Amino acid sequence: MKKKLSENILDKFSIDFLRNQVLKNAYGNDDTVIARLDPRILLAWYLFFGLTPWFVSDLWFLSACFLLVLVTTVLARVAGLVLLLFAVGVFTQTGYLLIVSLFFGGDASTIIPLLILTLKVATCSLASVTVFSGLDPDRLSNGLMWYGCPERLSFSISYAYRILPMLMEEFQNILLSFRMRGNAPAHDTFFGKIRYLFYQVKIVMHAFYPLMLNTAKRSRTTVEALEIKGYRYAAVNKTVKKMKLASLRVTYNDWLFLSVSFLLVAVAILLSTLF
Amino acid sequence: MQLSKKQTATQSQKLMVFVLTMALYGLATLFTELIPSFQAGIVEFSVEYFLFIPLSLAMLFDPLSAALGAATGELVFSEIMLGQFGGLGELEKFLTVTIGVYIAGRMVQNPKNRKMVGIAAITGTGLQLLMGTVVDILKVQFAVEDFEAVAGLPESVYATEGFAFLNDFLFSGILFCLLPTLFLVPKLYGKIEPLLGMRPRDEKTCLGKISAKVVIGCIAAFAVALGAELLATSGTPLIEWEAAWAESRTALAVGLVVAAAIAVAAIAALKVRAGKMQAVEQ
Repeated sequence: MKKKLSENILDKFSIDFLRNQVLKNAYGNDDTVIARLDPRILLAWYLFFGLTPWFVSDLWFLSACFLLVLVTTVLARVAGLVLLLFAVGVFTQTGYLLIVSLFFGGDASTIIPLLILTLKVATCSLASVTVFSGLDPDRLSNGLMWYGCPERLSFSISYAYRILPMLMEEFQNILLSFRMRGNAPAHDTFFGKIRYLFYQVKIVMHAFYPLMLNTAKRSRTTVEALEIKGYRYAAVNKTVKKMKLASLRVTYNDWLFLSVSFLLVAVAILLSTLF
Repeated sequence: MQLSKKQTATQSQKLMVFVLTMALYGLATLFTELIPSFQAGIVEFSVEYFLFIPLSLAMLFDPLSAALGAATGELVFSEIMLGQFGGLGELEKFLTVTIGVYIAGRMVQNPKNRKMVGIAAITGTGLQLLMGTVVDILKVQFAVEDFEAVAGLPESVYATEGFAFLNDFLFSGILFCLLPTLFLVPKLYGKIEPLLGMRPRDEKTCLGKISAKVVIGCIAAFAVALGAELLATSGTPLIEWEAAWAESRTALAVGLVVAAAIAVAAIAALKVRAGKMQAVEQ
């Protein structure tokens, strides 16, 4: 039973699964309400919900913000893996701290500040999940560029999403060829298992050697192709930037989204003064 | 003046190094983000650290491009792609990774010298980890109000952070940074450079020893990182501002009602308008 369960989990956690999840996260949900909003508006919205929770420790306000970003996360239809990572991340940031501080003689009074801290962390990360995985990478990088982020960054985002599937596949192929030619140590005994683990780690490290060489070749090709198109001059040219950003449009939906968020926050502040 | 004379790479080659490091380190951090760590007793075994990739590339190529590429790769692949972007706080990680990798890359003059490669790798890793630990401790101190008053919290923060540092440094640092770098750098030396159309680094083409300027620059960058992280975490000014404001409750309530009313009115107007527009189109 136990063996079956672990095999099942390992099956699910293959590189293919990871690749699919990442791709789904990037391109799988461009028909949601969030994805259709203007990236500039969303980034401004994120700036508010990613920063203000840190400065406020009012429980009403924090809960309202948390609820709001929870709803937007559901609307953005974020991939399951990302949500799992979010949960694990929040736990390791504060839950772990709670256990240790209980160990050091803390009591129930430790919980309240930590709860507030958890709410803050959760709100900020959910807001970022909404914006950064809800948006199409191209729209996201356009939005960032409009705010004057360096061209390098928006280039990196677009490039990353395109190169990642290829890189993952190549890495997997290298690993498979290592496995085909290699002789893995037997892993039935305890020490055998440890040796097997070290063997696996060693193979992953070794696999980076051919991957580095291949990627070096590929990045030279990429940069040369960019140079042919005059990338380094275009990156700093204002006219080119204007042409690139011409597709961005703020619609009524964006304003609606902003004002609904604002209304919720206002109500939360009102509640916190009343009670 | 001397730097420009000694320039070892053209702009496009620097871009190549940037792209190379970004893609590779991004991929690696994506894995570390996804692979769960497992705990054996109190020692955490996680494949936390693929820092050996930017480290070895920084020792072979232009250190600054490699360092910036690594930091950008981590930001883009594991933070933005997975939606874990932490806003201003990410600046801290970005800068500490850049500093660690850059220093390690500058330390090595001849990649064939294994001893120096090892020293540089462990120094870069340790530097990055140490800066992260300092920032983390200060962060919790600022984020939780009455830090000292919460029972058991200060000790637990020092204990967990200090332990995490030692754990990372001894386990991940040696196993995942030192050993792979020692393996990769001599192996890649002379093979990977021609692929980018460069000459391998030796005493003549290296950027020279670490000068006071580099150290001061790194300290300044760390200060910026610390400031950004604390700014992202600490809320002192706004909390005080809010407390002062909350004294006059009526004013606050009125302001809020007005704001909410404006919001509602805006929504209503927009809805009506949008409806009209659609009617016209049809």
